[in-house]
Amino acid sequence: MPTMTMIQAINTALDEEMSRDERVLLLGEDVGKRGGVFLATEGLQQKYGPDRVMDSPLSEAAILGAAVGLAAHGMRPVAEIQFADYVFPGIDQLFSQAAKLRYRSGGQFTAPMVVRMPTGGGVKGGHHHSQSPEAHFAHTGGLKVVVVSTPYDTKGLLKAAIRNDDPVVFLEPKRLYRATREEVPGDDYLIPIGRAAIRREGADISLISYGGPMVETQKAAEEMAAAGIDPEVIDLRTVMPWDKETVLNSAAKTGRVLMISEAPRMASVASEVTATVSEELFDQLLAPPMRVTGFDIPYPLAQDKLYMPTVTRILNAAKKLLDY
Amino acid sequence: MVQEKVRFQPFSGEPVRLIDEQGHWIAGFEHGLPPDLLRRFYRDMLAARILDEKLIILIRTGKTSFVAPHSGHEGAQVGIAHALRKGHDWLFPYYRDMGLMLAMELPLVEIFGQTLGNAADPAKGRQMPSHPGSKKLNIFSVCSAIASHIPPAAGAAISMKLRRTGQVAVCTFGDGATSEGDWHAGINFAAVQGAPAVFVCQNNRYAISVNISRQTASESIAIKAHAYGIPGYYVDGMDVLASYFVMQEAIERARAGHGASLVELVVNRFGPHSSADDDSRYRSREELAAERLHDPLVRFQRFLEKQDLWDANWANELGLEISKELEAALQEALQTGEPDPLEMFDDVFAARPWHLEEQRRLVAEELR
Repeated sequence: MPTMTMIQAINTALDEEMSRDERVLLLGEDVGKRGGVFLATEGLQQKYGPDRVMDSPLSEAAILGAAVGLAAHGMRPVAEIQFADYVFPGIDQLFSQAAKLRYRSGGQFTAPMVVRMPTGGGVKGGHHHSQSPEAHFAHTGGLKVVVVSTPYDTKGLLKAAIRNDDPVVFLEPKRLYRATREEVPGDDYLIPIGRAAIRREGADISLISYGGPMVETQKAAEEMAAAGIDPEVIDLRTVMPWDKETVLNSAAKTGRVLMISEAPRMASVASEVTATVSEELFDQLLAPPMRVTGFDIPYPLAQDKLYMPTVTRILNAAKKLLDY
Repeated sequence: MVQEKVRFQPFSGEPVRLIDEQGHWIAGFEHGLPPDLLRRFYRDMLAARILDEKLIILIRTGKTSFVAPHSGHEGAQVGIAHALRKGHDWLFPYYRDMGLMLAMELPLVEIFGQTLGNAADPAKGRQMPSHPGSKKLNIFSVCSAIASHIPPAAGAAISMKLRRTGQVAVCTFGDGATSEGDWHAGINFAAVQGAPAVFVCQNNRYAISVNISRQTASESIAIKAHAYGIPGYYVDGMDVLASYFVMQEAIERARAGHGASLVELVVNRFGPHSSADDDSRYRSREELAAERLHDPLVRFQRFLEKQDLWDANWANELGLEISKELEAALQEALQTGEPDPLEMFDDVFAARPWHLEEQRRLVAEELR
């Protein structure tokens, strides 16, 4: 079985879906000749031509708005936003058009489209190449939001997103693009949107995360295990709609929930998940659910690594929960 | 496909006008339109005017919450509707297009259902009035966010080109929309792709209260097309036949594979911006009275009179017939009642996720 990086898994998923379904089309800045600035679409224009791998003008509103029209007219566009930080000039197309089209037309028109965006910190990108904006999308009814963390999942989730009948925001932690390789089967498998993965089963504490900080979360889990604690590790994979059943089952089992996310804390996915755990399982918990998150500041350059949840912060928070 | 006739030059200094104020045909070509079609244009314009009056009555009687009057735009809107291939081409309208909806033959019951926001609305009463849409007629559901439908129109046109469907995307908007970034983004992309799109500005020179002189320093809207490398047609939109012929040429040009264009139809807005607006605060009554002297219906009436296609009796009968039809449709729409409140959780996604099931249950319990 071939081993792949996340970026290769993306390229493979796009290639497979484009050859399976001629309605699938890619558009974005530099996705054609250049193959994308991270090379996610490398070689695809050569294979499928400039009409199906379309270099767009430098305009997120044009990319996302055209994707809405392409999708409404029957295509299956996959738009690439070069960095999630640059989605904002096109946000009206996502929020006012893509998210609401099915609803505002009473189901007459739909926008089955995928918006791929490199997300998160860890590449010394400063304010505008490091943010984790998933809460904005999750807060807007009508959008599904996926955040991947492994090459295997990336292939299966991206293929599922392309076949999904709703607009899907597909966030790819850029620091994981080439961080690891794992076996990725060549067959046509899908991973359902909305389903979390239990990465490690345990009994003492539930560590729940997604995307980039899955790396630090799993490192922290290993250190805890070495110290005789038995953590359960859950990767949400989809943050809208997030997998409440898996989270609550784990929380009921361990009685302790620590949610780890790199996005700013204020009005975040981490806040939503921990609030729901508190609401639904208050009398079964051994401690109040806690969060380790990014900070409510513009993303700083010099403190690139310190901004993201560190293993130390995760372990300190876990200790608080265990000692409660 | 080959485009048959090319009659109009883009970027004209004066707006294209085929009928003068007195109703004379002043074009250098024969219009060649059969009497039935000419009378149909008049009927659609009159119906649009009567619909506008009826919608305002619905506001005053508290049956609806909003209307964006289109009186003054009838010539432009009827011209657009007859120039495209209904049900084949796609229309991306804006909120001041109810006259256009009528001329597109959107069922009257749907028009009133949407206005009332009740169960007769195919969109299930989700949007404010003046926001129609119809999949059957390829009329893209109206979005309030100004100019946000322009990039989607470009995208649909790109799809039409890639799949060689022989369709054209026609996208309408007001003069205010031309200042939005999405307007630029959408037209630029359609132009680069050579996509079959026609962007149509119904320029009534007011964006709510802001006069065109505060909107743009350009001498016209049409001239902006030059920067995108596409033709821009400057047209007297109070002249239904000028609107019709220029739109037809732009649409067939796009269908023949020659790409996008911009059409500016200069019109008057006889009413306020909307039922929530008081236009006397920014527009003098004298200015309005002077504008009302240039009525697209009156001009076309004079044109028809000269060809013995119009007389007062016929027009009165026609008006009564239209009023009756509209009233019957209104009554039918009123009969359907309110939409099921729990439908508010439908169509957010293809299927309801767990959190919407929970929220739906909460409301169901409250209503029980």
